Amino acid sequence: MSKRVFRDSISLLERLRRSELQSFVGTRALQHIEFRPSPSSCTLGIRTVSLQVVAQRMKSVGNIQKITAAMKMVAASRLKGAQTKMETSRGLVQPLFRLLGDIPGTTSGETMIIPVSSDKGLCGGINSTVVKFSKVVAHSSEGETSLTVVGEKARGQLSKSYSHLLRNVILDVTKIPLTFATASMVTDVILGQDAPKNQIIYNRFQSVISFKPTVATVLSVEEYEKASDKGFNKFDEYELEGPGRSELLLDLAEFKMGAVLYNAFLENSTSELGSRMQSMENSTKNAKDMLGKLTLLYNRTRQASITTELIEIISGASALEG
Amino acid sequence: MSAAANSASYWRIAGMSYLKYSSMCAEVVRGCLKEPFLTKAKPREAVYFKSVKWTDGKPGKPVVTEVIPPEVTK
Repeated sequence: MSKRVFRDSISLLERLRRSELQSFVGTRALQHIEFRPSPSSCTLGIRTVSLQVVAQRMKSVGNIQKITAAMKMVAASRLKGAQTKMETSRGLVQPLFRLLGDIPGTTSGETMIIPVSSDKGLCGGINSTVVKFSKVVAHSSEGETSLTVVGEKARGQLSKSYSHLLRNVILDVTKIPLTFATASMVTDVILGQDAPKNQIIYNRFQSVISFKPTVATVLSVEEYEKASDKGFNKFDEYELEGPGRSELLLDLAEFKMGAVLYNAFLENSTSELGSRMQSMENSTKNAKDMLGKLTLLYNRTRQASITTELIEIISGASALEG
Repeated sequence: MSAAANSASYWRIAGMSYLKYSSMCAEVVRGCLKEPFLTKAKPREAVYFKSVKWTDGKPGKPVVTEVIPPEVTK
């Protein structure tokens, strides 16, 4: 009876040991560990568990920690420059919004939604936020909707369920430092679709830890004419010289689109850097915690096996003496 | 666009957009700069992006637009 109880407790402890190891090394690695039922060994199978898997895991976690720390440093060093460039670009857009207004409620035939995302990942949830907002805008806008996606990440998420709405995908805008020339050529591609209402969705950079998903609306010249007639903006309060009103509005609408896109690209890439900095800091911290736990497990197991061997030697010796 | 058709501007008649016209003007102005300002301003002309047209839920061929002045190293 007492022997059976002893065996049961051993198997229970072995199971516990297995589940503890599983939480550290994962199920797949656990398959490679050999658990030998050894009721004769009074150390509950500790010695029979290979520490090699834990050692490998420790090495890989350590490497991941180094990589994420380096990525954080890179993002942090690029952030300052990006932020300055982005803040200057705000001065370009604000006067245009003051003059022509941001009129998101305009009802028109077609709405072109332009989600701006990053080309690279590992930057937290900013791209998912943009995609979520784009879906909401697409569902809530009246009339036909179409999509022009900027950036690899939003393309990946939207090309599956919204492929029928996709018209254009623009990639690699920030591969070389972004220029206004790039933004204007992208604008020409987008305006080539002739949508009366364009809504650009991007992450507005507030601080290193805060990014606000933002919708900027740019209308076509016909819509702006209607808006000025209705008094939605203060365009008609200005006295005009030179070309006619509609022509000037056409120029302004095109320029506004270019400026808004330029600003949106910059805001989004600055947010990307800030968000990457944060998420990489978190993963470095997590990797550090994990490494600590693994080291503890490794050392504890090693120490246990040493203790067992010592006990065996001593008890053997005392048995001989006795 | 009706406004484009009625426009009196010669560049509009030539089929240019306002942004295309203004970037061409900017290029000309940049070209007038002396050194060392020219090398500083020249990278602002660089353009690079890839665009893919989608029709009926299928992607077309990617088109790379690349205008990089020879003075600018990638």
